[in-house]
Amino acid sequence: MNNDVVIELNNAWKIFGEHAEEAMQAVNSEGLGKAEILEKYGAVVGIADCSFNVRRGEIFCIMGLSGSGKSTLVRHVNRLIEPTAGEIFLLGEDVMKLSPTALREMRAKRIGMVFQHMALLPHRSVRDNVAYPLEIRGESKARRWDVSQHSLSLVGLDGFEDRFPRELSGGMQQRVGLARALASDPDVLLMDEPFSALDPLIRRQLQDQFIALSEQLHKTTLFITHDLDEAIRLGTRIAIMKDGRIVQIGTPEEIVTNPADDYVRDFVQNISKLKLVFAHTIQVPFNQYKPMEGEDLSRSPRVSQDVDLDYLIDVAVKTTQPTVTTDENGNDVGVVSKDRLLQGIRDGK
Amino acid sequence: MPDDTKPDVTKAIPKIDLSDSIREFSRENSDYYVESFSQIQDSDENVTPWNKAALLFGPAWCAARGLWNLFWLFTIAEIVALVQIGRGLWGDLGAAKLAEAEQLMQRAQEIRFEGGMAGVTGGETASSAAEIAMNLEVAAQAATLEAQAAANLWWIYLLVGIVLFGVLRYVMGKYGNRIYELQYSAWRVNRKIASGLSTKRLAFALVLLIVMVPLTLYRFTATTPVSWLVGVPVSNVYYTNSANALDSWFDSTAEAGAGVFDGITAGAQTALDVIELLLVDAPWPVVAVFLVVIAWRVASIRVAIFTAASLLYIGLLGLWEASMVSIVLVGAAALFCVGVGIPLGIWFSRSERAYAVARPILDLMQTIPPFVYLIPIIAFFGTGRVPGVLATIIFAMPPVIRLTALGLRQVPGHVKEAAVAFGATKWKILFGVELPLATPAIMTGVNQTILMCLSMVVIASLIGAKGLGQEVLTALQFVAKGQGILSGLAILFCAMMLDRIVQGRFQRQEDQ
Repeated sequence: MNNDVVIELNNAWKIFGEHAEEAMQAVNSEGLGKAEILEKYGAVVGIADCSFNVRRGEIFCIMGLSGSGKSTLVRHVNRLIEPTAGEIFLLGEDVMKLSPTALREMRAKRIGMVFQHMALLPHRSVRDNVAYPLEIRGESKARRWDVSQHSLSLVGLDGFEDRFPRELSGGMQQRVGLARALASDPDVLLMDEPFSALDPLIRRQLQDQFIALSEQLHKTTLFITHDLDEAIRLGTRIAIMKDGRIVQIGTPEEIVTNPADDYVRDFVQNISKLKLVFAHTIQVPFNQYKPMEGEDLSRSPRVSQDVDLDYLIDVAVKTTQPTVTTDENGNDVGVVSKDRLLQGIRDGK
Repeated sequence: MPDDTKPDVTKAIPKIDLSDSIREFSRENSDYYVESFSQIQDSDENVTPWNKAALLFGPAWCAARGLWNLFWLFTIAEIVALVQIGRGLWGDLGAAKLAEAEQLMQRAQEIRFEGGMAGVTGGETASSAAEIAMNLEVAAQAATLEAQAAANLWWIYLLVGIVLFGVLRYVMGKYGNRIYELQYSAWRVNRKIASGLSTKRLAFALVLLIVMVPLTLYRFTATTPVSWLVGVPVSNVYYTNSANALDSWFDSTAEAGAGVFDGITAGAQTALDVIELLLVDAPWPVVAVFLVVIAWRVASIRVAIFTAASLLYIGLLGLWEASMVSIVLVGAAALFCVGVGIPLGIWFSRSERAYAVARPILDLMQTIPPFVYLIPIIAFFGTGRVPGVLATIIFAMPPVIRLTALGLRQVPGHVKEAAVAFGATKWKILFGVELPLATPAIMTGVNQTILMCLSMVVIASLIGAKGLGQEVLTALQFVAKGQGILSGLAILFCAMMLDRIVQGRFQRQEDQ
């Protein structure tokens, strides 16, 4: 096993219902589909044959619409939901083989989780909410207070520690949720649609804050969202789910420029490509470019082939010439004409 | 601008054709119902096409078409109408008055006879007896006249009956279709609702009508109906035998378990004695100050003032000792209820099966009149304070159990899930998450239990528990209105005092 892989799921299945086991066998032997399983066994397929790896320090986004099984999937990592079949490894340990005590220990020490509906304890102060995971671990009061104070300052909630959660706004409550997840200094963050219940402006703020935090703390994160924009903003890599299956895994650029099927294509259609597509994707090789009348590549502006479309637009509006791209050594490698740029903005390639 | 430039949207909307589904619904005579339903549905006003079948057959039509509510309503109403007709035609209308007259005459004769006997010995009683007898005879004559007058009014009964019957059938005929159309609308969403015309239903309805109508008519119009129709013709042997069997069972159980029951009684008695020693025998100023300070510390200054005022009322009226005895009784019962009820509630919130078994028992505890279980409690535990506390516990325990179970079930799943995700054990979740979040419901249960405990003090005093209940009881025996109200108010103040102190503790927690 690769040491760098923090979370690994292999062929995980979850079938809900009384006859889940039989349904699972039928899937293995006959390859039944979701509808057939529902009809024959009255069982609902939550997730089907899901496999993925999350590498250390990565923010791995799982994106899907409601009912696609993404929240079910994330609950397999800490076994809040038991899989019907498949393997789950966390930090190289087989989660399925853990005893109840060892599992609780792993949840308390290795994993921090943030929930869509915050799930704060209304009868405890903000501080005691953040310190809750440490309290479960039996840490001393002084340590609990120190850590929760530090954790709250990480999310910018200094001075709110002696309030009750209900006195805070939704965005602040979710920051408390994040602080609580960070309090036990876990190796892994599981975030189940943490920003979905917030209004767009606050959501954006929290995303920015989370990105900054992430750069600072380098926590391996499994991030669930139904919002592709959010996944693209945050994700190192993105998995797209549909009907319990993962249909594509890739970097934001790969997803946007090279959707695996029509379902993904529909999603990415209206996504702005400006920050996701780079010059090297749309450029015409330098030696193949045929200059049009009045064009003189020697007078063209030169940019690195790794700049994004947003940057290319800034360059292109200041000149009548096509833009020439260069490699790291400064050699001309490609040309992006304005036509090509417009096409790239629309199609992403 | 004239209005007609606006396109008429209603004309553009195509009409849906319901006739097939109405046919499917009504089955027999479907063309008629398609016609009349569409009349009802199309019209803006209340168009009511006549239903001749409903008019002619009345309840039988309702039953055949599956309109059972209507069937019962009209059957009962029509029986009332038919009884009036029957009484008018052949009923003995003056019967009641005649019987009264006969009775009065008889009494008059008796008095006359007694007066005659008395007349032999002394004059005055005889003359007053004669006077009474005279008066009675006059009343008897008046009753006879009234009876004749009533018998002459037979046509009013007949008329009322016929008019009522006519109105009922008119309503059926007039509104039968509208009601049947409502049934159709309901049937469209729920196909289990009766449709069509069923001979089975009709036959069942006819059997019901044949049994009910003649018997009822006979019972109300015959001068002296046969006795088995008036009362249920059974001897009381079943009742006596069952009661005797239960009696001997209780007796033998009480005898067999005498050791156990006496042990419980003795143990509880000792516990009560200790508490009573504290509250009743301690100097009253000490107890009063103690209660007020407790109220202040645990609840608030307002509750403390209320407590002081209540204690003043109790003290000034000389109900101090009785009140303390009652508080001990109620406090012990409430403490037991809460101590046992909350764990039971926790268990019932987890185990659906246990709760399913417990629910009827809880219902029983709450609904069965306390007097019913007072009797066996006396058989087992004798009289005094302990059986009083036991009866109070039976009556007052259910709310705290129910509301604990309810409160725990209502704890949001996602909060519990979060606790699990952070590695909490079941016990930590119970004490750290579930119970705190269920506190409002549990405290409501505790409040209900305390109040129900206090409402039992009067009944508990029936079996020898002393205290305020006994004051009320003696007041009842001597119809001492003032005493009853004053000691009743003392019960109320004790209840409010206890409840405010307990609730105050919780209120403070909430406010923090």
